[in-house]
Amino acid sequence: MNAALSFRPIVAERDVEVISRPSLSYWRDAWIRLKANRRALVSLYIVIALGLFTVVGPWLPFVPNHSAQDLDQISSPPGADRTATIVEPYVPWSGVTVNAPGGQAPLEAPASVSLAGEATTQAVRIFWDPVRGAHGYRIYRNIAHPAPDDALGMPLADVLVPSRVSFEDRLDIKPQEYFYSVVPLDRNGREAPVYATLDVSAIRVITAEEAVKRGLAGSTADLAIGDQVELKLHVLGTDYLGRDMLARLMHGARVSLFIGIVAPFLFILVGILYGSAAGFVGGRVDQVLMRFADFVVALPFLLFMILFRILFKIEGGDSGIAPMLIAMVILSWPAAARLVRGQILQIREEGYISASRLLGAKTPYLVLRHMIPNTMGVILVTITFAVPSAIFTEAFLSFIGMGVAPPTPSWGSMCNEGIKTMLTYPHELIFPALFISITVLAFNLLGDGLRDALDARMRSQE
Amino acid sequence: MTTSSSDNPGARGRAVAGAASVAGVPTGQGSRSGIAWLGEGSQLFILSVLGIGAFVLLMMLLSFVSELFGGGGAGEAVDPGTGTITLALSTEPPQLDSTRATDMVSGQILGHVMEGLVRYDEFDRIVPGVAERWEVGGSEAVFHLRDDSRWSDGTPVTAHDFVFAWRKAVEPATASQYAFILYPIKNARAVNNGELPVTALGATAVDELTLEVRLERPIGYFDKLVAFPTYYPIKQAFYEGRDGRYGADAVDLLYNGPFVIERWVHGAQLRMSRNDEYWDHERIRLNTIDYAYITSDVNATLNLYKDGKVAVAGLDAETLHDALEQRWKLERFNDGSVFFIEFNHRPSRLTSNRNLRKAIQFVLDPAELVYKVIKLPGNTPGESLFPVWLKGVNGYFRQEYPAPEHRVDLARAHDYLERAKQELGLDPLPPLIFLSGDNPAANKQSEYFQEVFASRLGIEVKIDRQIFKQRLAKMTSGDFDMVLAGWGPDYADPLTFGDLFASWNKNNRGEYANSVLDGWVEVAQSSLVPEERMRAFDEIQKIIYDDAVILPNYERGSVFVRNPRLEGVVRRAVGTDPDYTNAYIVDG
Repeated sequence: MNAALSFRPIVAERDVEVISRPSLSYWRDAWIRLKANRRALVSLYIVIALGLFTVVGPWLPFVPNHSAQDLDQISSPPGADRTATIVEPYVPWSGVTVNAPGGQAPLEAPASVSLAGEATTQAVRIFWDPVRGAHGYRIYRNIAHPAPDDALGMPLADVLVPSRVSFEDRLDIKPQEYFYSVVPLDRNGREAPVYATLDVSAIRVITAEEAVKRGLAGSTADLAIGDQVELKLHVLGTDYLGRDMLARLMHGARVSLFIGIVAPFLFILVGILYGSAAGFVGGRVDQVLMRFADFVVALPFLLFMILFRILFKIEGGDSGIAPMLIAMVILSWPAAARLVRGQILQIREEGYISASRLLGAKTPYLVLRHMIPNTMGVILVTITFAVPSAIFTEAFLSFIGMGVAPPTPSWGSMCNEGIKTMLTYPHELIFPALFISITVLAFNLLGDGLRDALDARMRSQE
Repeated sequence: MTTSSSDNPGARGRAVAGAASVAGVPTGQGSRSGIAWLGEGSQLFILSVLGIGAFVLLMMLLSFVSELFGGGGAGEAVDPGTGTITLALSTEPPQLDSTRATDMVSGQILGHVMEGLVRYDEFDRIVPGVAERWEVGGSEAVFHLRDDSRWSDGTPVTAHDFVFAWRKAVEPATASQYAFILYPIKNARAVNNGELPVTALGATAVDELTLEVRLERPIGYFDKLVAFPTYYPIKQAFYEGRDGRYGADAVDLLYNGPFVIERWVHGAQLRMSRNDEYWDHERIRLNTIDYAYITSDVNATLNLYKDGKVAVAGLDAETLHDALEQRWKLERFNDGSVFFIEFNHRPSRLTSNRNLRKAIQFVLDPAELVYKVIKLPGNTPGESLFPVWLKGVNGYFRQEYPAPEHRVDLARAHDYLERAKQELGLDPLPPLIFLSGDNPAANKQSEYFQEVFASRLGIEVKIDRQIFKQRLAKMTSGDFDMVLAGWGPDYADPLTFGDLFASWNKNNRGEYANSVLDGWVEVAQSSLVPEERMRAFDEIQKIIYDDAVILPNYERGSVFVRNPRLEGVVRRAVGTDPDYTNAYIVDG
């Protein structure tokens, strides 16, 4: 074998210079990495959905006005029965009067208690047999049967005319079962230890005019007494004044998200300008600027917020959103400024900056081409973490009554209202609280994902 | 606690930013690789479960700790062994100088530790107090004091003590807001205005035990009037010895009532114990009334009741359902006060326009407010300035002179509104300022009214929420268009409501001025013929409706629960309320 033959000149490989995969820009790479992070992606979808919820939500056909009060469906939980029967308009009842039989103690229980007409949510009218020697009657109502421990429930009224043996109840009647008890009273207005009870099931009713006014039917002519109509749908139920929870949540999101996005955007902008100036100029100027930032950190937020309210002559009845925004911007920028300054100080000493400078780059070019893009990741991450914090602050301030003015809702003020009925109508607290939690969690997880995606140094470790 | 967790969002931002800047060394990495096999979704799930578990554990620990430290505070709500009852007080009295007291809580405490010439018994009858007997006739009244009534330092209560207290109350330097209640006494108004020296006041101590009072004009209800706290006695030597601190603390008061204040920790506790120097101390069966909690939070008080820490707790519409499920015995009480929307009648305000007021009047339905919004039994829809319990000539005033009939009438309301807009030359009307209290009940009502005005009339209102003191200040300075106001009776005569809108009354904060109404008030004040007086009140009632001076909302009632072993608690519209002086503990 010829040794020369065993060697073959290599063919020049032209492919070596070809980049086999498209080059990734910084943002494209970040996006791919973000997409790979399921947590962050889900959070992103939630944030987008929240935006749609706020902007598009109120225009949906089944969402009523956020301040309209549906007094027939106060505090009704989601999915409550909405059937109502058409009845005549309410007319006052003259009641039942008899000749009071005289006599003496001991007082006996009324022989019977009966219902006059139908028991409706408009009124429940009861009358009873007079009791010999009674000087009046006390009427109780309960949601469960008084037996066995004589729990008569809540005292509705005293009828202090012995000849009057009837009572009309109109107090917040719900379509449910009630137990009315009548107790005779003696000469001194004291209760006798006896009572008679009537079991009543009230039905939900509405007058034809009301039904038309609420848009449940075309005209009164379409409705006959006894017809059934479905009351307005409230997807997430109603609050303590019969206002639609969903509409209020959508409207409240406006305030929460406005503060949550505008405030961080503004104070981080201030922080970037301030921090990059301090970091780039350095030296004594840096010292002075950063000590001032330290001073601002020491100012108490709540106190400033109240001072701004006074300064702007925010009286009760005006919205406190503007002073809240200004106080947040004025007091929250130092965090971002410090961060940006730190980054700029670090980048300033990098080799490529020196090289660029040697090649004759001017200051604006250095700042715009090298410094700002390299701090962008940190800045974006700061924004995403500042957003939930701002939303939380808004919710808290509205909760203590320093935020929005009624009737404008905000999630915080809705929580404040809901907490009073927490045990009886939990949905009034749970929904706004859930929205605050989910929003804050989503922004936090999204920020987490963004940090992973944008920080260049993270790449090498995966 | 709220401030420290909240006041500085900057701090939150900084902490987060710090974590971000050291992200080069990912802190979460260890845990991530540790449970990587679970996948991201289940990792999130496990973390949330762990988080919730930790939260529950923390809460249990906290409640355990609070049991450890909070449990020892107060004993049983009702303790028959020591004759002690424990209660919660809604707010602390600002001070207990009877000449300057204005609020209901001060009146309640003063009613237990002081006694006037007369007092109300458990059936709301006027019975002798310090005065053994009295004669009220024409424009003179003479009170004969009992000789065994003593101050808590053992010295006798004399007629001089009353003269001193009354002079103090009308003295301009005292600036008592309730000086007007002494105006029936000769020269009281002139003294209060600084026109006459205090010695000119028509009350003189003839001797130690005889008090002679000359009146401006004959009035039929003066004996009812002297049960009011401003008429309580003060011992001059003690008052002057306190150097301006009279009534500021437990030691700065001298007591002549059934109880003395034993301990007053400002903001936390007020404990009263029986006064053995009290002339009728055998009537008193409780040894100690301990207001161990000072809170206006209905939920907190109810929880204390549930734990057996307080003997009485008030309920609101929100806690009512809970109480029904507990199967407690509930009691109802009408406190005699009337709540209404008061208009600002100052000429610079839009609400001085009668047509605008009438328009608002015709869209309001007090029944809807009471039955759908307030939802508390005992409240009754307001129909008149004069509540239903006031006595008329023979029976009840409102049965003899029914309130003007009112019905919602949208067509008429819009008619009035159009006329108002024309007269005012404004279309649309600028937002009106609706002054309201800052408490859950007032918030609910004001938001209800806001929507009613907006949807039925198209009038926008701005709700101005203020605490009680600030609301009164704004009412006095006229800084409102409409205000949610109320009035409780000072004495059991319709005049306590009837003179409220007289042009000279300082409590007429809307500054309504109508010479016809003033005329009827004068008739009611000066006449001694019941029929004539009641007719005058009826005229006032009609003017108030026709001119829409105020819009009655409701007569306030309350519902409360009481420990079944505590008996003899008296609730009343006029006088000390609630009154525990006759209360006792039953065994069981």
